[in-house]
Amino acid sequence: MTTVEQTADRAAESKAAPGWTVVVEQELRDLWLGGRGLLLSVAFSLLLSIIAYLVATNTALNFLEHRESVNLVLQVAIAVGGLLTLLAAADAVSGERERGTLESVLLSPVTRSQIAAGKVLAALSLWVASFAITVPYAWFLGRGVGIVGDALVTGVVVGTLLAVFLASLGLIVSLFAGSNRVSLSLSLFVLLALFAPTQLPSNAQQGWAGELLLRVNPLTAGEHYVGKILVSGHAWSQDLSWLASPLAAAALLATAAPILGARFMRLRGGVAT
Amino acid sequence: MNRRQRLVAVLSALSAAAALAASLAGSAGASRFSVSMSRAQTTTHLGDRFTFRSTVVNHGRTAARGLIAHLNVVGLEPSVYVDPEDWSSHRTSYLKALPPGRSATITWRLQAVSAGTFDVYVAVLPHSAIARPPTTGPAVRVAVADRRTLNSGGILPLALGVPALLGLFALAVRLRRSR
Amino acid sequence: MKPAIEAEGIGKDYGSLAAVRDLSFAVDAGEVLGVLGPNGAGKTTAIRVLTTILSPSRGRFAVAGIPSTRSREIRRRIGVLPESSGYPERQTGEEYLTYHARLHGHTRRSARAVASGLLDEVGLLPRRGSVIASYSRGMRQRLGIARTLVNDPGVVFLDEPTLGLDPAGQRQVLAHVRTIARERGAAVLLSTHLLTEVEENCSRVLILNRGRVVAEGTVSEVVRRAAAPRSGRLQVAPEQTDRAAAALAGVPDVGRVTRDGRPGCLSIAFASPGTRSEDAPLNAAVRTLLEAGIVLISFELEGARLSDAFLAMTEAA
Repeated sequence: MTTVEQTADRAAESKAAPGWTVVVEQELRDLWLGGRGLLLSVAFSLLLSIIAYLVATNTALNFLEHRESVNLVLQVAIAVGGLLTLLAAADAVSGERERGTLESVLLSPVTRSQIAAGKVLAALSLWVASFAITVPYAWFLGRGVGIVGDALVTGVVVGTLLAVFLASLGLIVSLFAGSNRVSLSLSLFVLLALFAPTQLPSNAQQGWAGELLLRVNPLTAGEHYVGKILVSGHAWSQDLSWLASPLAAAALLATAAPILGARFMRLRGGVAT
Repeated sequence: MNRRQRLVAVLSALSAAAALAASLAGSAGASRFSVSMSRAQTTTHLGDRFTFRSTVVNHGRTAARGLIAHLNVVGLEPSVYVDPEDWSSHRTSYLKALPPGRSATITWRLQAVSAGTFDVYVAVLPHSAIARPPTTGPAVRVAVADRRTLNSGGILPLALGVPALLGLFALAVRLRRSR
Repeated sequence: MKPAIEAEGIGKDYGSLAAVRDLSFAVDAGEVLGVLGPNGAGKTTAIRVLTTILSPSRGRFAVAGIPSTRSREIRRRIGVLPESSGYPERQTGEEYLTYHARLHGHTRRSARAVASGLLDEVGLLPRRGSVIASYSRGMRQRLGIARTLVNDPGVVFLDEPTLGLDPAGQRQVLAHVRTIARERGAAVLLSTHLLTEVEENCSRVLILNRGRVVAEGTVSEVVRRAAAPRSGRLQVAPEQTDRAAAALAGVPDVGRVTRDGRPGCLSIAFASPGTRSEDAPLNAAVRTLLEAGIVLISFELEGARLSDAFLAMTEAA
């Protein structure tokens, strides 16, 4: 390559947007203007509407049950928002592979780690939208019991940590899955497995083993923290240790996703080279 | 009274005196402290938060170590269930060593989670090898007025409006793309 | 001037299977190299190695003067139309090209301009705002070709660009291929099954079989080297048929002479040329007929085509 071409390359690079932003923008367009994201948002808002209506028209609810209802709305938002984010990320690479559109993206000069990062960020938009939709419901239900602020702040903190964790997880599964069906199924299975401890009997959740299981699992730890703030009225700092696993999981997988993307984003899934 | 009988009487008197001394010493240990509250009563509404302060004074001659102050909530109406943990998540306070004649003030934050009439009081216990009776302060009478925390009237516009707005937006985007 | 593509000893293994073995060739700017081979010959693998999608197991290469160790820079300089290229159904043609232009470093504004220009070039400008789901197969291939040009590449790789197209579509695509090489001066590597495509559009051809290069050169060089058996069909005046057959039977390197049933028509088989010029038997046959005073109405040579050379090389190996 000549010096002129190298200079032109560098000049073009400095003016053009970074590759990951181009990927994010296009993925957002595909997700939202393509229609899938909006339809999912409508479905989610219907779910919240049903829950909110049932809660609001239940005149027998006492104060504590009312607080628990706000907690329920927030937990549903975090769970469903996380699920949608996970599924979008799980489709990100394996879906493109099956649709035959991955190769043309890999043929661009954008690095694979940037492509991976862009896809994770775009998947996170589903969480952002889910939370935004939840705000009016949380406000309506929470204003009577004075926990709107607590609900929204805990929701955004815990929900974002979990969404980052799930989006990164979904992308990593998508990198290695042999097909899109495997990617989506495996991601869903992992999510259900993470939610499973919440269904254990309450005496099984107590004791050092039960508490360890709940603390190590980022989903149950996050759910526990939100509950303590909203239902038990704890202060922010009182149960901060419960945020350790969501924070660690989010940080670890968000770091791993682009690194693994750089190494394993290929035309065929699987770990074999 | 013979010699033996006199001995039994003396021994009985001595043990009674010892017991009395011990009980006097015990009650003298509990009454070393006093607990006072910043107010005698308060009126609030369901869901509101309120605070009050309690002051523990060491009337003894030596420093008091390991004092534990504990908040309790008692419902005065049998029909109202009370779990003090719902009212306050910080119900136990471990005090620093209290020199003789000094006092410590604790601020308690509560939220009225049930409507009705309640007494709130603070008990102070010394942490010792032998269980000693607590010292309690006067109760604060809390009257919690009920109120509607849920306004079901406004839910329909929200429950219908949000999905409708999103649906319309989705339709508009779809139509615009298909042109 | 350095070749636009230089490959030296490229090999690619999938476990114990060698998909590509010892691939060495060069392509100059403005040249169109046709890559032929049966299914599983290693054409697509070779292209994926050269376009940095796959890492070679052995060997080295340079594209546009950039060594294989700098894969990102190579991708800046090449345009590729993969064989099984899919297209996002819900994007419009304009959005698709704009996106890829931006991936290749264009700003938003210049990407839109590039997209418009390329859509016009491939005849898709009237459909710029339509979603790709509404495009025909031919339109998608043209869109794909447009995409290969978003970065004004110096080297273009086209893997089966006419696959699944009707003759008109094939013609359109091949016209674009010629334009890319001629007007843009890009080196083009064209992988195809259609031998006529290669004969009509490629300056040189590379035949792969089971991962190896079995022939390389111009079309005529490859045909000659393949020593494909040739035959001919001639037509003489019907009353001179027997004399023509007798005269031809005595010509050296002419094998069997048979009548094919139609008046005046004879089929002759030439022996392999050996060390002599491939045209020697043909010239001798025609000279013999003329010297015998036989009127030669028509002479059609068979077996001197690329297709025969291709079959001979890929079946024998």
